[in-house]
Amino acid sequence: MTYSQFETISLGNLRVHVYSSPKFKTTTLSILIQQRLAPDVLTKTALLPNVMQRGTASYPSTLSLKRKLADLYGAILFGDVYKRGERHIIQFGLEIANEQYLQEKESLLQAGLSFLCNVLTEPQIENNGFVESYVNQEKTILKQKIESLRDDKIRYAAQRSMEEMCKNEPYALFNHGRLEDLPNIGAQNLYTYYQEVLNTCPIDIYCVGNVSSEEILQLLEKRLPTDFISASRNPIQITSTTPSVKDVKVVVDRMDVKQGKLNMGCRTHITASDPEYPALIMYNGILGGFPHSKLFTNVREKASLAYYASSSIESHKGLLTIQSGIEIGNYEKAVAIIKEQLEAMKQGQLSENEINQTKATISNQFREQQDRPYDLINFHFHSLLSGTHRSLSDMLEQIKGVRKEDIQKVAEKVQLDTIYFLRDQGGDPHAKD
Amino acid sequence: MQKIEHKQVQETLFHEKLPNGLEVYILPKEGFAKTYATFTTKYGSIDNTFQVRGKEKVSVPDGIAHFLEHKMFEQESGEDVFQQFSRQGASANAFTSFTKTAYLFSCTENIAQNLTTLIDFVQSPYFTDENVEKEKGIIGQEIRMYEDNPDWRVYFGLIEAMYQNHPVKIDIAGTVESISKISKEMLYTCYHTFYHPSNMLLFVVGSIDPNQIMELIKSNQAAKSFEPQAEILRYFKEEPDEVAEKRKEIKLSVGISKCMFGFKESQQALGKTGIEMLKQDLATKIALEALLGSGSELYQALYDEGLIDEQFGFDYSLEQGYGHSLIGGDTPHPDKLLARIQSELPKLVQKGIVIEDFERIRKKRVGSALRSLNFPEWIANQFTGYRFNDIDLFQVIPILEQLTLEDVNSRMREHIHWDRFAISLVQPIN
Repeated sequence: MTYSQFETISLGNLRVHVYSSPKFKTTTLSILIQQRLAPDVLTKTALLPNVMQRGTASYPSTLSLKRKLADLYGAILFGDVYKRGERHIIQFGLEIANEQYLQEKESLLQAGLSFLCNVLTEPQIENNGFVESYVNQEKTILKQKIESLRDDKIRYAAQRSMEEMCKNEPYALFNHGRLEDLPNIGAQNLYTYYQEVLNTCPIDIYCVGNVSSEEILQLLEKRLPTDFISASRNPIQITSTTPSVKDVKVVVDRMDVKQGKLNMGCRTHITASDPEYPALIMYNGILGGFPHSKLFTNVREKASLAYYASSSIESHKGLLTIQSGIEIGNYEKAVAIIKEQLEAMKQGQLSENEINQTKATISNQFREQQDRPYDLINFHFHSLLSGTHRSLSDMLEQIKGVRKEDIQKVAEKVQLDTIYFLRDQGGDPHAKD
Repeated sequence: MQKIEHKQVQETLFHEKLPNGLEVYILPKEGFAKTYATFTTKYGSIDNTFQVRGKEKVSVPDGIAHFLEHKMFEQESGEDVFQQFSRQGASANAFTSFTKTAYLFSCTENIAQNLTTLIDFVQSPYFTDENVEKEKGIIGQEIRMYEDNPDWRVYFGLIEAMYQNHPVKIDIAGTVESISKISKEMLYTCYHTFYHPSNMLLFVVGSIDPNQIMELIKSNQAAKSFEPQAEILRYFKEEPDEVAEKRKEIKLSVGISKCMFGFKESQQALGKTGIEMLKQDLATKIALEALLGSGSELYQALYDEGLIDEQFGFDYSLEQGYGHSLIGGDTPHPDKLLARIQSELPKLVQKGIVIEDFERIRKKRVGSALRSLNFPEWIANQFTGYRFNDIDLFQVIPILEQLTLEDVNSRMREHIHWDRFAISLVQPIN
């Protein structure tokens, strides 16, 4: 089977990627901006997309902006920040209906693309800065977002375990920023920072839908300022170190919770840029990616200790995390069973059946990504960041070729680094947990 | 096999009701890699007192529909059916809601085998005392997980505050106590009542040939025998119009308060099916969006005042026996937010929605209905939920286009009624 691909075209120093397919009833546009993940810019980066969505030169009030989106048949605009290894990514997305399925004559693509370009390059400004009230309100909202991390115990435990495991590495930083930076951010300095990001950071523009690349390119050329198109952009420098583990760290946090959250963080020393990456994906799949995997079968099905027990990989930093929700008193038992699974992987206790099941389910996951515009974009961007330019068919081919010994070699590299446990306030607080 | 074309959205649906009563729907999606299938029974957590006409009336422990869903994956061979789906490259799952239980898979290869696996495992229960006991630990942890989830707690707190008698107020998973009483005999009773083909719907969507798929399903079903089943009677206690509690409050370890509120439908507004029910559903959603949606003046004012964030939203849920709106989100000042809502909403309701707002929101809803057709999962689940209430999903866009401002204004005045208003809060400890 052959798979459709993105067509990549340079527009000045921007990269434009277009995926033409008639199967979607909407057009999805996405802008991805890379910034370094570092304390001095972290919180400003996190705040930017929220402020930029408050108003533009053409739609200065948030209400007028929201109403314009509704008029465009409920086009969906979003902006967010996330981490990809030690890069901080700002993503804007706009999804808009394709008029050929509507009683509508106007080109919605043109309107949608103009709108998104507007959000990116023409924010509403006053006194050489962003609108002050917008910045202040968004600072408050961001503060609440940071404080509410603890509300979702699964996410909280994931972030806390990473913080502990990667102490003194940029990856420990929370994608939504730090409270202590907020007082120093104002409408003017944020706007200066915005201009710097806009004119120096690498930017990729994606489009998925029933469109042609010529059409997209023409519209972008018309809508984007020429100095923005031609600005020189420097690749983000990654100083990625993955220290070898000496001792396993154990960290316990206490909160008023009913269920304990156990997170175990490992260093894989393998990233998406490495040739062993497909074998790492297989390793993770066999260990804890699926209901047939070792973690689900042993922690949940055999021992009845948990409702969820799974693992996942961070592909740009080279990390693997295991997560499970357990009865607090079952901590030792669960840790022991999980360690046994890691050991079984090292010992090469991998059946033919496990390997075949995992190849089948992983390939299925990759193929299914073609049906979702944002999955298509993420896969492509991910491979672009890794510098490998692995296409979907490359990936499927490489997964198919992974042998048992390759997985075992990965297992030898994987090192348990940190055991994190979020538990209740009960018991003896001084006891060794 | 019946072929139903929906020209505007360019979709063609195939349908057949099999001799054993099973409803089968197939939606080919050209160009899609994935095929998605759901096999759903019209049986959810609210069906806790029932009777097959001519048989004995039974009441079952809370959480049994969900427990049964977990146990269906067990097979006589001793192998979990997940293992088989994995070998065939499929990803399988299931979920239980208030009114239905669905089993599903998605795959990009081996479609026929996976579909056969889905139908066969749902049609061959295997419960033992031992495997029932084992599940209690797993579901116990699922219940604990939800107890620590403030979004779930504020949502369920509101349902509990609204309803006095209706079983929608019972948590879908039950409690550790209630599930401890579940036995394999009870599971079989529920299974044989609700998993008869005449109470089920199979939906397949993806890159498929409808004729081949229909033939496969028909021959699979023809090879099995099912006793004809009489009508299922479901019993619900009468629900007064007034809410059970005006305000429900709990404390959890959260960083910010969660506030949810809404209106319960009166008994008079319930019991509709088909087009009338769909109209009520859509008109209520338009009204709520006009009052409190992200393009409304009230939303923007509350946002600017720092009382809500961008997650603030609303939903409306309508079934034959219950219905309610759910509005809310995170807020640093729940009482200020509630005071603003209680003073502004009556004025807005009295003034009525204006035509420009109505037209804009209608457009937004049409676009959103169209976008949903990109997602096979959404189509299958939404189609089935609607079908159980005699509603056709593909009528959503035409009905939206037919609704008038008067329909929406009168629906708004019927729904927004302060005797049927309830509040649920989750506040930080300290």
